[in-house]
Order: sequence, then C-alpha cells, then structure tokens
Amino acid sequence: MEEQLPWYIGGPVLGLCVVAIRGLMNERLGATGAFSEVIDRVGRRSLAFDWRGWFLIGLVVGGLVFALVRGEPGFDGYGWLTRTFEGDGRIFIAVILLGAGVLIGFGAKTAGGCTSGNGLTGTSMLSRAALVATATFFGTAIAVSFVIEALT
Amino acid sequence: MRLAGVLVGLVFGVTLSWTGMSDPDVIRGALLFKEAYLFLFFASAVLTATIGVHLLRRRRALLTGERIDWQSVPVQRRHVAGSVLFGTGWALADTCPGPIATQVGQGVVWSLFTIVGVVAGIWLFLRRQPAAIDA
Repeated sequence: MEEQLPWYIGGPVLGLCVVAIRGLMNERLGATGAFSEVIDRVGRRSLAFDWRGWFLIGLVVGGLVFALVRGEPGFDGYGWLTRTFEGDGRIFIAVILLGAGVLIGFGAKTAGGCTSGNGLTGTSMLSRAALVATATFFGTAIAVSFVIEALT
Repeated sequence: MRLAGVLVGLVFGVTLSWTGMSDPDVIRGALLFKEAYLFLFFASAVLTATIGVHLLRRRRALLTGERIDWQSVPVQRRHVAGSVLFGTGWALADTCPGPIATQVGQGVVWSLFTIVGVVAGIWLFLRRQPAAIDA
C-alpha cells in the first residue's frame, strides 16, 4: 500500500463522491451535515438516520478499514500539539482540541458547510456563498497557522 | 439511499485517510505553504465535482427520480463569520469534520477530544436555531 495516494487519483475520487450523491439523490455531500443529522436524531432519542447519518458511519468505517489494512493509524502523535506540549502540559492538547472542535462545529453550521459541504459541494454548484465561505476559511486557517508557527 | 450513503462514505473515508488528510502534519504543511499536495488534491476534487454535477444537471436522479437541480443562496454575513470560526478551529486542530470521523475510525485517541468539541458546537447551534440552513 502506497504511503500517500497521488493527488491526481485521490482528488478525482473525492470529486466523484460529490457527483454520486448528486446523481443518485440530488443531495449535497457534507460531513458537517452528516454529524448534524446524527446529533439531531439522537437528541430526539432515535437512531433512524437518513443517508447522511449512514454517510458518517461510512467515514468512520473507512478510517477503520484504512488503519486495519495498514496495520496502524495514518500517523503518530498529534502534529504541532504533541510536539509543543509534553508531560503535564498535555492537558493543553485536550483543551485546545476540544475548543477547536467547538469552533469547527459551530462555525461550519453557521456558514452552512465545512471543507466538504462548502469547499467541495458548494463550489461544485458554483454557489457564490460557498466560494466566499471557502476563500474565508482557507484564508483564516492559513493566517492562524502562521501565527501558531510564530508562537511555537 | 442509506446503502448509497454508507458506500459513498466508505470511499470518501478511505480516500481522506489514504491521501493523508487525516494527518494533522499534512494539513499544517499545506497551510504553511510547505506542501502543494492539499491544494492540488482539493483543486482536482473541485474540478471533477463541478464538471460532474453540471453534466448531471436537469437529468433524473437515479434513486429518487427527482430532477437534478439546485439553487444557491446569496452571500450573507454568516458565510464569512462562520467560516472565520471554522477556519480558526481547522488551523488549531489541523483537521475538519470528515477527517475527524476518519481519525476516530483509525483509533487516534486525541481525536476523541476534537469530536466531542464538534458535537458540542453543532448541538449549541441546533439549540439556538433548529431550522436547518444551507449554503
């Protein structure tokens, strides 16, 4: 198994997933929408997920299949966080990941999509809102990454 | 429909894992402009999706028989404000909702904190505004 699938294979396969959801059901593929479906149903004490909930299950199983075939997860440690915080400082990793998760979930819902819903599906529809959202989250993430790099 | 969801999710999840999108260092390398991979990957995905959905437009969806079409909403403040919050979280954790789900599947223990945060963030949003909104 190759370490990293070439981008010119992985990219088109990812794009075809958007096309498949559109061609089969005229629906929008989006990971945040999938999380939202599961949270909404579970909040109503139901497990009768629509296709989006099953899409989320597919994502988790996809990660599991990948790790099983490879024999280990895709990476060790956790990026800049485990390089920066060691020993007792590791509590900060948990706090930062938890806080980042809240920003990701709340922000993506507010914007109507994340990297898949707005970045991939919305831009494929040439939606101006999705193009603005995508430019904004890429720009913000690049700026924040340079700030973290300067501070660590 | 559920079968289609789980199968497409599986392909999406394996692809995200295999392309390294679940690896925070791959995301970070891209956001610091050290690696071009993510941008080439993302651009080729967008190009494929754009051509594909436009070829399908006004045909019938295979499973639902529905006419394939969409309307886009005008740009609103929430698209920018939400994406600033989202982009900040993305850069802090070097991951986003799809890859977080695959990290959990891969057994990455740290991702449990991120996923709890994502669930809390979405839950907070749904509590404030139950009606679903799309881009």
